[in-house]
Amino acid sequence: MGKVVFDVQYQTSLAFLISYYFYCTGLSAGSFMISTLSYGFGFTKFKPASKMGVVAAVLLLLLAPQFLLMQVGWPIKSVWNHFVYFNPVSAMSYGAFLLMLYPVNSIIYGIFMFKGNMKMTKIFGLIGIPMALAVHGYTGWILALAVARDYWNTGLMPIVFLFSAMVSGISMMILLIIIRDRFFTKEKVINHDLIDSLAKILGWLLVVDLFLVFCDYSVLLYSKLEAQEVAHFMLFGKMSFWFVILENLIGKVIPMIIVFIPGMRRSYFWLILAALMNMAGILAMRVVTVYGGQVLPLM
Amino acid sequence: MSNPHKKEQHTGKDLPRWGMVIDLDRCVGCHTCEIACKMENDVPLGIWRSWVKEIEKGKYPNVVRSFRPTLCNHCENPACVKVCPVGAAWQREDGIVMVDPHLCVGCRYCMSACPYEVRYVHPQKGMIDKCDFCHTRVDAGLKPSCVEACPASARIFGNLNDPKSDVSKLVSTKSVTTLKPEMGTDPRVYYIGLDMATMEIKREAKLVWEK
Ligand code: SF4
Ligand code: SF4
Repeated sequence: MGKVVFDVQYQTSLAFLISYYFYCTGLSAGSFMISTLSYGFGFTKFKPASKMGVVAAVLLLLLAPQFLLMQVGWPIKSVWNHFVYFNPVSAMSYGAFLLMLYPVNSIIYGIFMFKGNMKMTKIFGLIGIPMALAVHGYTGWILALAVARDYWNTGLMPIVFLFSAMVSGISMMILLIIIRDRFFTKEKVINHDLIDSLAKILGWLLVVDLFLVFCDYSVLLYSKLEAQEVAHFMLFGKMSFWFVILENLIGKVIPMIIVFIPGMRRSYFWLILAALMNMAGILAMRVVTVYGGQVLPLM
Repeated sequence: MSNPHKKEQHTGKDLPRWGMVIDLDRCVGCHTCEIACKMENDVPLGIWRSWVKEIEKGKYPNVVRSFRPTLCNHCENPACVKVCPVGAAWQREDGIVMVDPHLCVGCRYCMSACPYEVRYVHPQKGMIDKCDFCHTRVDAGLKPSCVEACPASARIFGNLNDPKSDVSKLVSTKSVTTLKPEMGTDPRVYYIGLDMATMEIKREAKLVWEK
């Protein structure tokens, strides 16, 4: 209706560093899940992926908080204050504890696994699962509890985050297992059964992920003005390349088609391509959600 | 250890609840409040604790310029205080929402939770800063700087708990509104005659990779 004569430019609060942080915790949680499939739940088919999974989970979770520390204005003070001044109603408050406990638990779990102590591995693996869910789920809550942003403020956000974590984690595991088997084993043969099962799981998780995105957007488009505007911004506006093409087409739909066509799934060329596209797509998803979700001015 | 501010708060029944009424029938859009605030609080270039959004609407000869002076609403249910992980965003018992520089770690979570975009990162301190109703002046019995400076007396400040104060009288006798009541933050800055066109948002944003 009106033309703006004077207004103040709002500073962007959370941006790329936070996207990378979410991406790394997601990869970590996803690869941890894969590693517990055999030791925690007895799916022995996935045993060759377990050690790799736990190493990846620990390394990524040591990397992830570095992005967080680069983002905050006062990194050292932030570590201290998070532990000392706990605010029970803030989702971010729990993060410091999770970011501390989850790697410690994963390291203990990994040590028992490498030592071959099945019983203890199972115990720490099962303790680790809720932690892995929490360490990534809480990042979804951080966004969901920011009441001002309609794109974030939905109960779906933690679930969307968990599914994107699992798909990107599985894609990463597929790539790592192929590299390990091909180049770092004596036989130089890729464990085909394992890769095939992981690819099938990836396909079904992608179906759920796409369904969640559909649910989210169908509600946004019928919701209040600001929600509609942010949905249009993602679907048709400046963010559409990132959201439609990178996140959903390249990141989810094409990989899903590849892993559901048996001929393509069994070809390592296509499978590697699918995994790479999916990993890139989930990175785009983090940028779309964190940066795109709050870049539109509110007032 | 819990939030140290819990202990610092006073107890006592007859505490004030500070609030503000902005009468847009009086506002002339001179931006004096903006400048007074910048001077009083030493606000760096490029950021504002309080500013006047200005829009033009209509077609000649039926045109108007509308203003929306903006500041922290010192909400009764502040979104920023709930989300702050270290309790640096806190609320005094008299309602003023504060940022404690000893606690704030600059994580910016409060910025993304506040529906009014009134919090900013202080470029030198690396922490969050925002309007605090000039709490040092208020504690000394003075009015906030913007209220004092307004040539049209469009900003009225006072104790909402006192039924005889100017703000209470205006809130109870005029048609007032707050910004975005649907956010559930329950603001304590009231507007008289707010033009909804000043609340419109632009659908477009400039992305960081755009020149
Ligand atoms: S206007 Fe924003 S910063 Fe001020 S109290 Fe309300 S939520 Fe907090
Ligand atoms: S930036 Fe400071 S005030 Fe805001 S949530 Fe983080 S620690 Fe709290």
